[in-house]
Amino acid sequence: MVELHLAKPHDIHPEDFQGTQMNTPNKLLVRELNFYYGKFHALKNINLGIPSKKVTAFIGPSGCGKSTLLRTFNRMYQLYPGQRAEGEILLDGRNILDKKEDLNLLRAKVGMVFQKPTPFPMSIYDNIAFGVKLYERLSKSEMDDRVEWALKKAALWNEVKDKLDQNGTSLSGGQQQRLCIARGIAVKPEVLLLDEPCSALDPISTARIEELVHELKHDYTIVIVTHNMQQAARVSDYTAYMYLGELIEMGDTDTMFTKPTRKETEDYITGKFG
Amino acid sequence: MNRKNTLYLRRRFVNGFNLTLSMVTVAFALFFLGWILLTLIEHGFGDISLATFTQMTPPPGSEGGLLNAIVGSLLMVAVATLIGTPVGILAGTYLAEFGKTGWLAPGTRFINDILLSGPSIVIGLFVYELVVHRVGHFSGWAGAIALSLIVIPVVVRTSENMLLLVPNSLREAAAALGAPQWKVVMFVSYRAAKAGIITGILLAVARIFGETAPLLFTALNNQFWNTDMNAPMASLAVIIFQFAMSPYEDWHHLAWAGALLITLLVLGLNILARALFRRDVTHG
Repeated sequence: MVELHLAKPHDIHPEDFQGTQMNTPNKLLVRELNFYYGKFHALKNINLGIPSKKVTAFIGPSGCGKSTLLRTFNRMYQLYPGQRAEGEILLDGRNILDKKEDLNLLRAKVGMVFQKPTPFPMSIYDNIAFGVKLYERLSKSEMDDRVEWALKKAALWNEVKDKLDQNGTSLSGGQQQRLCIARGIAVKPEVLLLDEPCSALDPISTARIEELVHELKHDYTIVIVTHNMQQAARVSDYTAYMYLGELIEMGDTDTMFTKPTRKETEDYITGKFG
Repeated sequence: MNRKNTLYLRRRFVNGFNLTLSMVTVAFALFFLGWILLTLIEHGFGDISLATFTQMTPPPGSEGGLLNAIVGSLLMVAVATLIGTPVGILAGTYLAEFGKTGWLAPGTRFINDILLSGPSIVIGLFVYELVVHRVGHFSGWAGAIALSLIVIPVVVRTSENMLLLVPNSLREAAAALGAPQWKVVMFVSYRAAKAGIITGILLAVARIFGETAPLLFTALNNQFWNTDMNAPMASLAVIIFQFAMSPYEDWHHLAWAGALLITLLVLGLNILARALFRRDVTHG
């Protein structure tokens, strides 16, 4: 934990906590980010860094803006007129909020898994091949290999290897969510955004997804939004606590959960509030 | 049990009353539907024979069938569906997937609603003015165009509604993989809404099979075998209209046969649409 976060947001110089705070380089760097739903000011002057190949968790009560922040990382908000972001988000030093940045190429680099499993209405195989085909021209056997690789990475291969032609929607909820993760990593993104990926799942499926997150962080930078503080404590290396559209505090997870610097964080974590 | 208080009794009474009322109205509606169907079968069933499907419509006082009318109906309905379906689906796609801002989508939706409920005789007159009057004669093409104008608003409406039923999370998931919008629509939205859109098309086909008014001023009628879309063309609906209004006994029999045929066809299409939709809903 570095004291910088105690300062008022506008006093923070992002260059200062790049590398010093996290001891690892930042994959994403958010600078003075403001976000609006129409007139509603949903994110207020957010400054933070997402360290490379680590798991970063966003926690905070409902409506605090953690999902909104996550959805700026792949500009998901741009599907909806009236939502806009101001400021800078640097992915490997390039500002992805720049209008000139190609939206679809960005999303190919920054994958996302949603709260509810969203299998496409097509076969398990095609669910995975769909994203791969968008940016790569693979032969049938290369595609077979890629599908198998992705399903193995997502710990789903053994359960579905004999029914790859079945509809993705025929799987159980937990399997569907792992299918969505497999689909996300099949395109080989650099960052994986998980938006409350376990909130619709039973405890066993949740445990499997958490194991998976541990596994995946060797290759990917992962950002996870969660309502569940135990989950944040279990899976993440760094935790950011948000409240009412502001970033209250960010630090490594152990410190955040044992001796947070800010009173608000402590109240939330200990359950006095939220 | 201390449950027999007045509040509970009153609730039970209101429940029973409403249930009875709704069952009576259902019975009322079904009674007339059943009556129509029974009358049709009673009169029409005996009049359907092999000749109905193999012979042309006869002059009064002689034997004949409905072959030219059946073929004429099939031809015009097929052409109308081929014209109306792509236009309808594309317009519905625009309304559901693309027209999020601006005036074009709300405007189109409003006009489409008017078309949807517009009297079909007006469409017949419109096509008369547009095609028949200019070309100088009635034709199967004019009939098909008039019918397609009825197909379009139905398909626009059902396509839009079915696409709107596709959860946004599915579109987001596809977009999150880096898919451009047209691919999201082609490969995800259409697939998810497929059964509903096909159902809409089938219902539109069922609707135009029974339309008479738009054909009266456009395809008119034809007593003879004709597959030339450029000439006046017979259709089941118009033949029924003509024969039922006539004073001739054997024409009446053919009108009953035709009416039963159309009803069975429409019924069949509706059942098919329902079955398709249900299969897809239950099996995803």
